[in-house]
Amino acid sequence: MKLGRRKFLGLGSAALVGLSLKSEKKIAGSFVNDSFQMGHLLRDRTAFPGAKRIEKVPVVIVGGGIAGLSAAWRLRKRGFTDFVLLEMNQQAGGNARWGENEFTAYPWAAHYVPVPGPKAVCVRELFEDLGVLKNGQWEERYLAFSPQERLFLYGRWQEGIEPAVGLTSKDREQFQRLENVFADFRKSGAFTVPLELGLSSKSKHLDRISFSDWLRQQGFDSRLLHWYMNYACRDDYGALASDTSAWAGIHYFSSREPEEKGPLTWPEGNGWITRRLLERLGANIRTGQMVHRITQTRRGASVFVGDIEFQSEFVIFAAPTFLAPYLLDNFPRLHDFVYSPWLTANLTLDRYPDSRGAEPSWDTVFLDSSTLGYVDAMHQSLRTHVDRTVWTFYWALAEGAPAQNRQLLLEKDWAYWKEAILHDLERVHSDIRQCLSRIDVMRMGHAMIRPAVGSIFSEERRRLRHPNDRILFANSDLSGISIFEEAQYYGVEAAQKVLKKLHG
Amino acid sequence: MGLLVFISVLLVAACGLIYELVAGTLASYLVGDSVFQFSTIIGTYLFAMGIGSALSRYVNRGLAYRFVWIELLLGIVGGFSSALLMLAFAFTQGFELILYTLVVVMGVLVGLEIPLLMRIVKDRYQFRDVIAHVLTFDYLGALGASLLFPILLVPRLGLVRSAMLFGLINAAVALWSTFLFANQLSATRGLRVACLLVLFGLGTGFAEAKRITATAEDNIYADEIIFARDTRYQHLVLTRFKDDLRLFLNSHLQFSSRDEYRYHEALVHPGLAAIPAPRRVLILGGGDGLAVREILKYPLVESITLVDLDPEMTRIFSSNPMLTRLNASSLLSPRVHVINADAFPWVASNADNFDFIVIDFPDPTNYSLGKLYTTAFYRAVARHLSAQGFMVVQSTSPMFARDSFWCIAQTLKQSGLQTFPYHVYVPSFGEWGFVLAGTHEYLPPKSLPTGLRFVSVDDLPALFQFPPDMAPLSMPANQLNSQILVRTYENDWKDISH
Repeated sequence: MKLGRRKFLGLGSAALVGLSLKSEKKIAGSFVNDSFQMGHLLRDRTAFPGAKRIEKVPVVIVGGGIAGLSAAWRLRKRGFTDFVLLEMNQQAGGNARWGENEFTAYPWAAHYVPVPGPKAVCVRELFEDLGVLKNGQWEERYLAFSPQERLFLYGRWQEGIEPAVGLTSKDREQFQRLENVFADFRKSGAFTVPLELGLSSKSKHLDRISFSDWLRQQGFDSRLLHWYMNYACRDDYGALASDTSAWAGIHYFSSREPEEKGPLTWPEGNGWITRRLLERLGANIRTGQMVHRITQTRRGASVFVGDIEFQSEFVIFAAPTFLAPYLLDNFPRLHDFVYSPWLTANLTLDRYPDSRGAEPSWDTVFLDSSTLGYVDAMHQSLRTHVDRTVWTFYWALAEGAPAQNRQLLLEKDWAYWKEAILHDLERVHSDIRQCLSRIDVMRMGHAMIRPAVGSIFSEERRRLRHPNDRILFANSDLSGISIFEEAQYYGVEAAQKVLKKLHG
Repeated sequence: MGLLVFISVLLVAACGLIYELVAGTLASYLVGDSVFQFSTIIGTYLFAMGIGSALSRYVNRGLAYRFVWIELLLGIVGGFSSALLMLAFAFTQGFELILYTLVVVMGVLVGLEIPLLMRIVKDRYQFRDVIAHVLTFDYLGALGASLLFPILLVPRLGLVRSAMLFGLINAAVALWSTFLFANQLSATRGLRVACLLVLFGLGTGFAEAKRITATAEDNIYADEIIFARDTRYQHLVLTRFKDDLRLFLNSHLQFSSRDEYRYHEALVHPGLAAIPAPRRVLILGGGDGLAVREILKYPLVESITLVDLDPEMTRIFSSNPMLTRLNASSLLSPRVHVINADAFPWVASNADNFDFIVIDFPDPTNYSLGKLYTTAFYRAVARHLSAQGFMVVQSTSPMFARDSFWCIAQTLKQSGLQTFPYHVYVPSFGEWGFVLAGTHEYLPPKSLPTGLRFVSVDDLPALFQFPPDMAPLSMPANQLNSQILVRTYENDWKDISH
């Protein structure tokens, strides 16, 4: 056979194409939703332009996370519409933001709300408004589908995150005993959601010691038990158990009835709630509006955005409280507000990777990983056949000092975090690189308030909860823990106080 | 003459390699694990060749005579090896024993060939030339065979006929050798007759290979597989044994054409015939068109909407003549609208009303299918029911999966419906159960379409009676967040199979 040169080259390049198919798949992606540039303008006391226009609005809400949106929800529900909500980012929602691609929505941060107990009156009311709670029944489609959680340990899967295989009798005894201790705390009524309702000085001593020290003091030394407690603290507080107040650690386990129904969740996580709220509140919300100064006036307060001065009677400050010293005149430095840095990533998968035989679950966690694992956005899909999906990968940078980790978030490039995430996933899903087409990474330097030792009963915090002037604080960080219910509670409380003062 | 000798070396070498490849390929096809099969077969074969070579020193006299016999033997054993292995796999327990015995026998014979041949021609050439020429042609033959095998032989001839063909070549070499080495042979006539007999036997085998393969394959797969396809959603296999067509989805039997009428008559008529004036019918699942066939027996029904996930499934059941004969071309009826969609999202987003809804999904063997057996799903479906409407749900076996059956019934009840469970006997399935559900009381119909083979007005009420071994059990409802049915179903069938 005679092989022309052209033909030979053709075959050669075909062979090369064949090779390149086998080599690594290209994974696209970038950092998204960065907001630190704006935050740093405030931090560095950059000069902002003076006001050229004046808008008079009786109530201004600063911050469009769940606290601010909840304040707005309450105002509108009480028939009060004369307010604006100013959000710094282009998209409202804060820790309940979401993203969307051509086949699914997915969360950027918080992705579930536990089924609210009887004390969370406002949360129940909201869920009735949104059709989540109907005639005392929770809408089945919004409860996390089974199978919900799985943990990868010792080269295999188990259902649920609390380690249940490979336990020694000592481990087993300690898990059981700790469960009893938590049950007693639960009965005491001191650990509630919202937290403020049950707060009692009787349990103040638990706020003076770290969770891990308290556990050891109580005779708990099982490695697996400490892993699980650490996981819980990293998951809810972005902190290690040794950096968490024992009071907060106990609150995580003792504030709710053990719920077999499983949490409420949606493909876009708590972004679903944000969406529904935005549908109702859209007219009052202005995004991309960075407030750079708030001043108290004789008859109210002024909020400065760009060259606009909003002259208002009341300001609900629902943005993270650490911003207050940079925005308000003569605001004292804060000492008890420590924030945990986080990283979340959304991974677009063209197919599900090898999972060593396990059925896909909602939430996947790896034992002894410094990350928190991932949540599958398509898990709440009604489809029976799902091939593509988005995984939201959670990583609280809990080890080390928050300031250092914030530095790390700023310094390292996207490729570094992409590799770090893949490295974590590859231990379990060996073919993950072949399944992925995108990894988008969101960096949050001050993702959530950290309930450090002494922070729950902090005097500073208590003072901010009960202001007597024209500026009311409403962020969930007032409680010391960053959960949906706290954000909603303080947002609604602030709105109610404002309504009361406005209407005498 | 020299070249002719070396051409026989080439042919003989090719035959030896082909037998080895045939054995390896067949074992990979039938048993699987090709790496293991090829490794062990090549190893055993080479080792047996070594034995053959070692044995060659005990052959002292009548070298050419013995060489002819070895070629004939190898032709027979190698030529029939493939057919023999197929039949062994289909009809005996000892496939591996027969496989390795054959490999050893062939290896020993092949191992004898070259040493004998070298000694036959050693006086005509210098020793170094014998070695060089014989080995050159030996390796050439091996190359030729190894290229021919995957490119031409397997695709064009198949394994059985490839082996036969090379058996014929072996026998031809034997016959040829009787002329080539005539001066070293005494009784050439007897040998030539033997050669012709072997050639005839192999020739017949070559011509009849199709029948041998068919016999073996029929037994391997029990029934003839007339269709197998991996669609995007499932693995679809259709088999036929005489007049019995069977459909398997992901290896679960969906119907047997011998008794599917029992299943589909029972699925459709108890509910549909009880509705006074049914106009609009919805079928979820059931892409085989068999339930549609039953529904088309109601002239009042104006429109039938069929929602099935897999377009491949509805396409095959609209076009394959064997299947359209079975479903009476129901999917081609102008009254039928086929929609290829995932049922739950479709039901949740569609707003139409129907007088009768058939839910005919595969059993809840995994969490994905389990979603289609939940209160959330049934509530969403019930919103489409007209005031006079009923829905019917295929609900697995109340006999073999009794917990699962009553769990489905309870799930429908918890979805706010009145339920009327019933069961029938379908020989290929065993006892099978259905649950009728609606918002009002059910009364069995007083008349049925004509021409039914199983359901009758008189026998209908008895279907709703459950004997003690299938009697109702108290089960929780299945919900998206519990998926208790999938776990229950798994346990039910585990109990049966162990």
